[in-house]
Amino acid sequence: MTAAVVLDALLAAGVLVTAVVALWHRERAASVTVFLGFGVLLTAIWARLGAPDVALAEAALAAGVTGALMTTVVAGRTRSTAPASRSSRAVDVAEGAVAVGVGVALTAVTVGAMRSAAPVLTGDVATEALPDSVVAHPVTAVLLDFRTYDTMLEIVVLAVAALAAVSTLRDAAPALSVPVDRRPVLTGAVAALTPVLVVLAAWLLVAGSDRPGGAFQSGAVVTGIVLLTVLTGTLRLPSARTTRLLLAVGSTVFLVVALATALTTGWLTLENPWGGTAVVALEAVLAVSIGVCLAVLALAGSTRA
Amino acid sequence: MTRPEWFVALGLLVFALGSVRLLFVRDTVTRLVALNIAGAGVFLVLIALAARTDPPDPVLHALVLTGIVIAVSVTGLGLVLIRRSDDGADESRDGDAP
Repeated sequence: MTAAVVLDALLAAGVLVTAVVALWHRERAASVTVFLGFGVLLTAIWARLGAPDVALAEAALAAGVTGALMTTVVAGRTRSTAPASRSSRAVDVAEGAVAVGVGVALTAVTVGAMRSAAPVLTGDVATEALPDSVVAHPVTAVLLDFRTYDTMLEIVVLAVAALAAVSTLRDAAPALSVPVDRRPVLTGAVAALTPVLVVLAAWLLVAGSDRPGGAFQSGAVVTGIVLLTVLTGTLRLPSARTTRLLLAVGSTVFLVVALATALTTGWLTLENPWGGTAVVALEAVLAVSIGVCLAVLALAGSTRA
Repeated sequence: MTRPEWFVALGLLVFALGSVRLLFVRDTVTRLVALNIAGAGVFLVLIALAARTDPPDPVLHALVLTGIVIAVSVTGLGLVLIRRSDDGADESRDGDAP
């Protein structure tokens, strides 16, 4: 028990230190690098709190993809964060003091509220709908059975963000252009790794039905595959028009499923025995769509307009 | 303090640090980092609250998963806009250089 307490305390201290350094460092590159370390520590915390799905998503998406996105923008630019006027240390300390004050006040209120109310499960899980669900893993059941509507709108948000990013480019075809790196070691490694990554993405996807994993974690791996193959020139970038169409595929498939279910069983209501297959099929589309949208975001960030 | 309370406190502190810095910093990349850190604080609170029951509440886990994807897309779009704004600033500083 004491070992667990020490580990929790160390993780908390690590998270606080990395957060403070990432927030108050003057150099963009250092700030972004420390932020990536912050993400890795969070992954350990999610695992400690019994949330393996969130840990996988954090490692793949929040630490991995966000890191790729941020480094594409920060790379090659060693601009300090305050080029014109450097704010003084006293101001920094004052900001930190305000933040700690707010944090302590919020904690006092929240812990009081937590102690006055007994913990209960929320939503459909509380109504014991889980055994009737079309998939066994509770988190996947919530995402794609009980709250499919939320997940549909989420993929729409992602597609809109990617479309907006592509729209900031000048209207030349192809819309995205990135420098291709054809060094033999790199292309060889990518050629050897790509099949492994494809299998990993597929496994994460199918595993999501009855254990931690699923479309989001798989989608992050797909992002990696797309970026690696594009950056080594294995995959040629499609034209601006095809890119825009690709971005809309996920939302379109989701809408078609929604309309089909609305006409038969009811708006996005999945039922056994075909519900499980529908969830895996939807997740496959979702994973590829998440992968393409995030890769387009990263490539748009590294393309000079 | 119990373990969920400990991590709720940590989450709220991280949220406060991130959001205060978000309000005060001028640099755009640091603002995005601050937004992400404040978001991570909220996720910490949600997951810590989920850990109060055994097994943990999957609804809150699903909320955080959705939140992570939305946070990544917002960050991605924000970075593209920062890149455009920086490119524009570089061009105007360079004058009519090629």
